[in-house]
Formats: sequence, structure tokens, C-alpha cells
Amino acid sequence: MQSLCKFYEMGDQTVRALDSINLEFGQNDYTAIMGPSGSGKSTLMNILGCLDTPTSGLYELNGQSVAEMDDDELARIRNKEIGFVFQTFNLLPRLNCLRNVELPLIYAGVAPEEREERAAKALVNVGLGDRIKHKPSELSGGQIQRVAIARALINNPSIILADEPTGNLDTATSHDIMNIFGALSEAGNTIILITHEEDIAHYTRRIIRLRDGKIESDERR
Amino acid sequence: MMKLTNRQFRYETTESLKMALFQIRANKIRSFLTALGVIIGIVAITMMGTAINGIDRGFDKSLAMLGYDVIYVQKSSWSTMGQWWRYRNRPDIKTTYADQINRVITANPRSELAIAVPQSSTYQASAKYRDRNLEQVFALGTNHNYLQTASGDLSSGRFFTAAEAASDEMVGVVGDDIASGLFPNEPALGKFVQLKNRKFRIIGIFRKQGKFLGLFSFDNQIIVPLGAFERVYGKSMFTSIRVKIKEQTRVTEAKEELLGMMRRIRGITPGKEEDFSINEQRAFKSQLDPIKNGIAVAGIFITGMSLFVGAIGIMNITFVSVKERTREIGLRKALGARRQTILMQFLIESVMICLIGGVTGLGITLFITFAIGQLLPSFPIQLSFDLVFASLTVSVITGIISGLAPAVTASKLDPADSLRYE
Repeated sequence: MQSLCKFYEMGDQTVRALDSINLEFGQNDYTAIMGPSGSGKSTLMNILGCLDTPTSGLYELNGQSVAEMDDDELARIRNKEIGFVFQTFNLLPRLNCLRNVELPLIYAGVAPEEREERAAKALVNVGLGDRIKHKPSELSGGQIQRVAIARALINNPSIILADEPTGNLDTATSHDIMNIFGALSEAGNTIILITHEEDIAHYTRRIIRLRDGKIESDERR
Repeated sequence: MMKLTNRQFRYETTESLKMALFQIRANKIRSFLTALGVIIGIVAITMMGTAINGIDRGFDKSLAMLGYDVIYVQKSSWSTMGQWWRYRNRPDIKTTYADQINRVITANPRSELAIAVPQSSTYQASAKYRDRNLEQVFALGTNHNYLQTASGDLSSGRFFTAAEAASDEMVGVVGDDIASGLFPNEPALGKFVQLKNRKFRIIGIFRKQGKFLGLFSFDNQIIVPLGAFERVYGKSMFTSIRVKIKEQTRVTEAKEELLGMMRRIRGITPGKEEDFSINEQRAFKSQLDPIKNGIAVAGIFITGMSLFVGAIGIMNITFVSVKERTREIGLRKALGARRQTILMQFLIESVMICLIGGVTGLGITLFITFAIGQLLPSFPIQLSFDLVFASLTVSVITGIISGLAPAVTASKLDPADSLRYE
């Protein structure tokens, strides 16, 4: 992305949530985006996840320019190219794990039998093969987040975007989840993680620090 | 580029249907209360339609009893019934007109008319047999050709012959109610029934025809030769000429022809208004239109009101549902749901609530009509397929109208904002 800007009008003030950001994420990057609240990391996450479009600047995803896409095209990109993992998990409480995981496949137009098969496999991969018929309320926080990861992976996305994935989890469970991300990275996935916890960020290979809508540092390890 | 594939559409619709059912089941009481307006509306519309259908059918049935292909020469007109003062100075219809008409008909092979039969009648006859007595019997004097101008066949015996009619034999053909009323335990055929102080031998019995709305029946009639009738009741009873027409579809032409004949018979100079009326079933039927229209207007008003209230209720609850599920909408969008998908999901939900309401309403109507049918067998009532179809269509339309605004709101929600919504 090049000279990416996002401005908000707040009363008569213009808030520069993101100010001329230039970033590039390569295949198999494992990145943490850090910064204090108000630094623009949520905004960046929304734009990276095609949930929002930049006020100006260029965002290319796999060579496709996203900035000028309309809502439905963005929906398709989100469906095919991006897997979301949220701090609050965001599973649909009334659906069982399998139905939650297969949700993106419905929007992708995959046939029911194939949906079920792929969703079940994804759940096995995150170690929940014996819980596929359980509802989220019957699972622990760590298990729920693993279901969410399975859902994020189901469409083989180009990027996995995780917004404070461990924010609602205790330390031990957080490490479990980070180990899953580590394994996913080793398997070749591109992962962008947003966090404000240093020790979580240190699981990654690249840390980008934001402050006041600008990049403060970008270090690879 | 963003062309929605057929398959995708199908899967998304299936998903929406499932979710809608899910949602309705999860909020049973809320859904039921919401659907109540639609239920009442559908009950109102179907009951109304059923009542109108029933009246129509009942009437057609009784008109068929009278005979569709018969027109009547009478003193007053059916279509302006109740305005007796307009007709009271008209001269009586004479039974001899029938012969005059028949002569013209036979002389003209191209006539639209088949045969004319005189009839003189009273609704106030009483029929007696020994100590049994039936009041308000419909006594009718006519000739042997009567059956050509009337529906109804005999269950036993025979109609009187030309010879019997000509010699005014004291014989009679009675309706089923008279036969069973006067002779509950014995065959009526061959017995003598007394009208005033005269006795008539029963030579035939009509098959039971039933009533219309319990008001009027042909089962309590007694038909005797005209001369015999006049011997009992005199010549000044209510007289009309029944004229059978050849082609049911050419009623208008037949009436025209009969009008000309009657004017000649009556000697009415051209330009002067006739002093008789020619009646047909259609005029009779048009008498019912105001009643039917009244039912229809009331029904449509009630239906409209309750559907309107119902639609507002559904709109309201769908708005609430959209609000409650903001995060879900955000999530679905993040996972790849398009605007249209979200729109469809909420539309399907409101349509489904309405459809469930509609089906429930139909069920209630079905139950009510069934109950009425059991309690009042003679009341003609029937739920037609058209009505079922119409009410389901109305339900779907109500669902679309009431769900549209909230669904559009939902579809336009910003995914990033809705994901953060608490």
C-alpha cells in the first residue's frame, strides 16, 4: 500500500487516523501491528480487511486495487482473500461449530456436502474434531477462538487478519492460540496480527509500530 | 464481474430460510404477536370471500332449481321488488296468455321461445291429511307442460297428463316435505291430500331439492291442474306465464321477442309503456349485489386495517431485530455476505412471519367454516382455492412491504462499525 490515508471528520476537525502509510506485506509474512489506542491500528486493520476503504492512496491486494471497489466487490474480496479472527470471537451463538465454520463457504457458493466436509476438516486441524456439533456456549474461550481460526482458514485466504486474538484469553490459552498461528505461518500462511501486548507480538517475525496514524518503526527479526 | 451465480443465490437463499426459521423459533412469542395482525387480516379476508362465495353458490343452486332457461311474464318486475305501488294498477296476468303465446311460437319456427306454461299460485295454502296439517304450503296450478319449464324430477309416481289437465282432475304432485310431513309412516302415493275443502289424489312425489339459506324451498309445493287450482282458490291468485327459451345464451333476444308478443296480446300501442314485466334469473341475482358488496367492503376494510397494523408491527420488530443483530450483520459482511444477501435474509424473515400468519389465519378460517358447516348444514359456505392463493399472496406482499425498510437499513450497515457495535 502506498501513501495510504484515512481521515475522519469529527465536528469541524479532521482526524488523520492514518497519515501517508506505506507498507508492503509479502507472502508468508508474519507481522504484528502494535500501537497505543488511537494510533490508527484498528483503522489500518479495517482497511487491510477491506471492511473500509481509504480516503486516499492505493491499496493493492494480490495486484487488485481495492480502494475503488464497491461494496459487493469488497464483500467478495473479504470472502475469498481474507480470514478474520476477532478479539470477541464473533461466532453466531445459535449455530454449532460446523455451521459457524462453513458460513464463508455459503457466501462463496460452495455446495452443502463439500461445505460440511471442508468445515469438519478445518475443525479437526485446529484440534476440535470432537466438538463439531457443539455450540459456542458449550466451549471454552480458547476453543471458541480455535473455531474462529478454523472459520478464518476455511476459504484458504491470502491474509489472515487477527485483531487482538488473545485479548479475551488467559495467558496459557493465549500461548496455545499463538502456537496455532505459528504453525499456520510455518505452513505458508500470511498472518497480520494486531495487538498491544509485547509478548504476543514477539511470536511474530515482523513488528510494525504505529503512532498518531504514522509508522513509528518497522522491524524484522 | 460481480455477477451472482445461480448456485450462490440458491445456497444463500437456503441459508436465509434456515436462519429465518431459526430466528422465528428462537423468538416464538414475539413472532406470534407480530404475526397476529396478519392472522386477523387473513381470517377477515378469507371469511369475507367464503361468505360471498357461499351466497353466490347458494344462489346459483336455487336459481338452477328455478331453471335458468325460463323467463316469466308477471305483473311486477323482480329487479325493482318492493316498489309495489308502481305495479298495483297494472291489470292481472291472465292464464290464457300462455295459449296465445304458444300459438305464435308454433307459427314461427325461428322463434327463440320453446313453450309457454301458465301458472297460478299461492304461498299461503294449507295441506291436510286426517288430523295432520301443514301450513304455508306453496300451491301451484298449471298444465301438463309444467315440467318442461322447471327443474326437479319425480322420485315416485308421475306428473299429470294433458287429459287430466284439460279435464281439471283433482290430482296433485307434491314435494318431498309434504309427502313426508303428512305421511310420515306410509307411502303418500295414492292418498288424498286436502286443500281447503277439496281433496286431491297424490299421483307423484318430487325428489327432495333442498333449501336456499333455509329461506325458500321447493319441497313444500303441491302442483295441481290449473282448473282444479282455480276451483279451490279462485281466479285472482298470483299468476305468471313461464316461458322456456330455446337457447340459454340468447335470453336477451328471447325477452325482446316475448315483449313484442305480450304488447300485441295486451294491445299496447307503440310508444306506450308496457303494463307487465318480463323477469329472468339475472335480475333476481342482481338483487344480491348490494349485500355482496357490503360484505366485500367491510371485509376489505377490516383486512386492510389489520394488515396495515400487522405490517407496522412486523416492520417495527424487524427494525429491532436488525438492531439486535448488528454484530451478526457486521460479521456476515466480514465473512463475505453482500448487501443483497443481508437484504434477502431480513426480507425472507419478515415474509416468513407473514406467511406463517397467513397459514395460521387460513387454518382458523378453515376451522370456522367447518364448524359453521357442521352447525348449519344448509348454509352454503366454502373456502375456495382462489381465496387460499389470494391470502397467501397478500401475506407475502405484506411481508415484503413491511420488511423492506429494515432490510435495506441492515444491508447498508457499515461492516467495520457494526462489528464494534455493543
